[in-house]
Amino acid sequence: MDIADVLKHTSSELFLPDLQATDKESAIQELVSGLSSGMNIQNPDTILQMLQSRESLGSTAVGPGIAFPHGRTLAVQQLSILMARSTKGVDFDSEDGGPTHLFFVLIAPPQDMGHQYIKSLATLIDSVQDTDLRDKLMAADNYEAFCAALKGE
Amino acid sequence: MHPQLQQLVALQDMMGMIREIEEKGSELEDMGFKTAGLDDLKNAREELEGKIDPQVMGLFRRLTGKFGRAVVPVIGNSCTGCFALIPASFVSKTNAGRLQYCESCGRILYWP
Ligand SMILES: [Zn+2]
Repeated sequence: MDIADVLKHTSSELFLPDLQATDKESAIQELVSGLSSGMNIQNPDTILQMLQSRESLGSTAVGPGIAFPHGRTLAVQQLSILMARSTKGVDFDSEDGGPTHLFFVLIAPPQDMGHQYIKSLATLIDSVQDTDLRDKLMAADNYEAFCAALKGE
Repeated sequence: MHPQLQQLVALQDMMGMIREIEEKGSELEDMGFKTAGLDDLKNAREELEGKIDPQVMGLFRRLTGKFGRAVVPVIGNSCTGCFALIPASFVSKTNAGRLQYCESCGRILYWP
């Protein structure tokens, strides 16, 4: 699976260029409201609860300045990915203690054939290891530029 | 959404997450994710189970044992557990205040 396949699961409606939240709880809420307005979800609380449960397992802020909140829930019917950015940075309880600036949220249905979302997660994590790329993502003017940077264009 | 249904869906999502960590945890750990909170999550599951009406909880357990998943989404007017058609009257507002079951298989219905 390459990054172009992963990006098929997102859209400009699922891109939040500058989060307002600075703490973990309100950041998760902001991400969930982005998801529910970007993809017409009836029960955003279900997704909120799932992501909170996931964070209780261990913070998903595992990359340098990057978090990958993820999980499966009955509330969605297909793998959906929301991408978000924070200029100010969010205290997301990261491993290195630093602020989180980039968020890739992966929400999958319970019956996700072939663990597509785990593969997408692995691809994304691999892709964003490069410091130059992270700078490009932070500087991208819009969704198209953000995707182009991810694809290495 | 009916509060009890909200809890059942959260519980089922949580059970799936616990199962995923137990089955695929090493894969997630290889990606850098920590799963040290698994016991906390199991405690949260028990706490949530305690909040649900015991009778509903009993039914949920029976359905889970029988089908793997007790709550199923209704998509395109069909129960996605058995693909039986769900009558339009089920969706009406008068039913919003209670749990609804598929007349054909008995699973608990959820409208995503
Ligand atoms: Zn059914």
